[in-house]
Amino acid sequence: MNPKQLPDNWQEAFAKLAEECQSPALKRFYGAGVPGLDKPLEETPLVSLDIETTGLDPNKDDIVSIGLVDFNLEGIRLNSACYWLAKPHGPLTHESVAIHEITHSEIQDAPRLSSFLDEVLDAIAGKIVVIHCAAIERPFLYEAAMKHYGEPLLFPMLDTMAIEANAIHKPWWQRFGRQPSLRLDACRQRYNLPRYRAHQALMDAVSCAELFQAQVSHHLNKEHLTSEYDV
Amino acid sequence: MDVELSEILDTLCEYAPFIDLKDEPILQDMVKDIEITYLRAGEWAIAPEARNQTLFFIRSGAIEAKNKNGKLLRRMHEGDVFGSSSLLRGGRSSHTMMALEDSLLYRIPARWFIQFYSEFDSFSDFFELSREVRLKTAMDNQSSDLSLMTCPVHSLLRRPPITASHDVDIKTAANIMSNERVSSLLITENNSLVGILTDRDLRNRVVAKGLPLDVRVDMIMTQNPVTVDAGDFASEAVLKMMATNIHHLPVVKNGRPFGVISTGDLVQRESHGSVYVISDIFKQEDVEGLVAISQKMDHIFTQLVNADANTQMIGNAMSHIGVAFVKRLLQLAERELGPPPIPYCFLALGSQAREEQTISTDQDNALILHDRYDKALHGDYFRELSDYVCKNLDRCGYPLCTGDIMAMNPRWRIPLSEWKKTFAEWIEKPKAEALLHVSIFFDLRGIYGDKTLARQLNSYIRELAKENKGFLSALARNANQRTPPLGFFRQFVLDGEGKQSRTFNLKSRGIAPIADLVRVHALALGSNKLNTFERLEDIEEAGIMPDGRARDLILALEMIGMVRIKNQKNQIEEDESPNNNVNPETLSEFERRHLRDAFNIVSRQQEFLKYRYPGKG
Repeated sequence: MNPKQLPDNWQEAFAKLAEECQSPALKRFYGAGVPGLDKPLEETPLVSLDIETTGLDPNKDDIVSIGLVDFNLEGIRLNSACYWLAKPHGPLTHESVAIHEITHSEIQDAPRLSSFLDEVLDAIAGKIVVIHCAAIERPFLYEAAMKHYGEPLLFPMLDTMAIEANAIHKPWWQRFGRQPSLRLDACRQRYNLPRYRAHQALMDAVSCAELFQAQVSHHLNKEHLTSEYDV
Repeated sequence: MDVELSEILDTLCEYAPFIDLKDEPILQDMVKDIEITYLRAGEWAIAPEARNQTLFFIRSGAIEAKNKNGKLLRRMHEGDVFGSSSLLRGGRSSHTMMALEDSLLYRIPARWFIQFYSEFDSFSDFFELSREVRLKTAMDNQSSDLSLMTCPVHSLLRRPPITASHDVDIKTAANIMSNERVSSLLITENNSLVGILTDRDLRNRVVAKGLPLDVRVDMIMTQNPVTVDAGDFASEAVLKMMATNIHHLPVVKNGRPFGVISTGDLVQRESHGSVYVISDIFKQEDVEGLVAISQKMDHIFTQLVNADANTQMIGNAMSHIGVAFVKRLLQLAERELGPPPIPYCFLALGSQAREEQTISTDQDNALILHDRYDKALHGDYFRELSDYVCKNLDRCGYPLCTGDIMAMNPRWRIPLSEWKKTFAEWIEKPKAEALLHVSIFFDLRGIYGDKTLARQLNSYIRELAKENKGFLSALARNANQRTPPLGFFRQFVLDGEGKQSRTFNLKSRGIAPIADLVRVHALALGSNKLNTFERLEDIEEAGIMPDGRARDLILALEMIGMVRIKNQKNQIEEDESPNNNVNPETLSEFERRHLRDAFNIVSRQQEFLKYRYPGKG
């Protein structure tokens, strides 16, 4: 199992990983299972998660911040919000500083990711993670776990980017001109959501949770099982 | 762990009431307790019969409030808050709230609302349930302490009064004045003020007349001069000086002389030319001179507004100036045409009669002739007199009345007995349609000539109108024809039926409805006042309206009037010709909020009018 080969049955995969994993944090995480997958969307406990990184390559680049917030279809509870800064192993590039505005001085005193990864796992355990662009976030989290625990971290995700792509998808013969953007901000504007300053992990997590609420009310059926929509 | 929600905090703090709390660290704790909810258009934020436990902040989108009967109450958008009234009632909501567009709402738990409400005055003021109290608080906070309009007269005095006893001779009095370097002297008898002597009096009444210098000063002083009380607002002093065209005003305290204020004192206090305009008007020897002065009116008006004058003050000043133009034109006309063959009285109607003029108002006037009037003998004289005045008023910036309600229209230039017949017709056989065009005649003030004619007509009208239910009910129905808007929504003004428009007329949708409904009560009461504020005081005293409601209307009129005047000032400064049309986009949040309250007060008083003066139709 790796980010490119996901299990067909998440419940079984979690049970198996709970058995196999040695590190207590991962054991706890898999032990909590994914009960939400078999519930209607409106009853599923959700957590929106966003990470900022030093670059785009999960093998070379590091996570520099993680933000997350619990929510459900009723609302996003800001008192559950968490935010961590992590000191990367490699240097910060100018490009990445320009994107997420986290500077060297802020990060100098930050702890290593390894010191709080347990907390992150505990915060998302038993909930369904909502994310914008699973294709980037999933490998980074996987690599981080491999680095720190030597064991894999994989879980089902609801991907607002995939939902959006699906919602605005048109067959090729109806396509006309440039494809609509799937960036978080561009997606949000289709739902009359306000513009936020992008690339701060916690606000992006909040932002993604809001987008998910909007997408559900426009395109998904909240009485359907969550497993219909996960990636 | 430091949770980074500053973006949400920053957004909240851009809007009232949070803007006033932005330096309170506790606000950061509140933000962490927010729950964010997305609503699709048509979904409920507060459903019928639902209990509400949160204060809502609209982050994006729009929400529509309706009452139990489905009547539209308001539309709200980004930055507005709602839900407070149900929180103050323990969660019971009398209104429903529905998303008009897809909306993102921040929900602030009730306990934070309750805590801020009890801890921060600015917060509780904002959520004050009674729009009357809200409006009053807002208006009180508006007036600055330093302005001429709110500072007491005694704060302008620079020295104790220079006085002389009434029995000293002219020479002694003149010596005191030159030793003390003053241009006016207060004359006392047993320490009480009995007169005033000015440089000009010495020149005009002594030197020019060749009086001997041992004449007693009380022979030439101005007796029983107009005075102002030391505790009065300086604005009172300005008004008195303008109304009486004097430049030295004795100040008294408990009947004793306390000082003198001169036009110079007021000008130094950044007052303005308006004190001088009236005397300038009377100095003009021809129409060209008056036209030249009229071109400065925009400037004078702007100065008044900038000096923080309230609307009553400005209405008063602008009316006095308007009346001065009329009077001077009549003097010039009489000079040209000869003295009038029979007595007459020139009437101001409408806003000028109520002393509520602003800049650029049409002229509304009429003329009462003495009953000795004989058309063959006197017709030409008064036609020429009226033509002269009305046409020249037009040149002086008071455009001809489009409804032809002017003295130059022979229909409105008739003898007293015919005026009485006309009014009797209107009052005793009221036809709402016909009355609509003449309601302006019920605000009538004699401003020049034989004012007893106007007084007789006014008391005739008062007696006749007072108990005539059919007339009052027709007038009440007319007064309710022009209604104020419901409020504002984004760049639009919002009407009760949900109609949205880009612009609205503050005179016909705000000022006039108040003047109209107050006129009905005033006529019912037989009040001899014309000014709406003064009428409201009579109405309050008579107890016609429920307790406090007359006060509320005064506040509403002041609020609407203030916005109108500021709007006109801005139009002048932008080189546009001032009018009464307001574009909601130019209104501040403060103005939108409190105009809404003011409109609401007016609407409710229109309802009350229906109930108080019922009738068919």
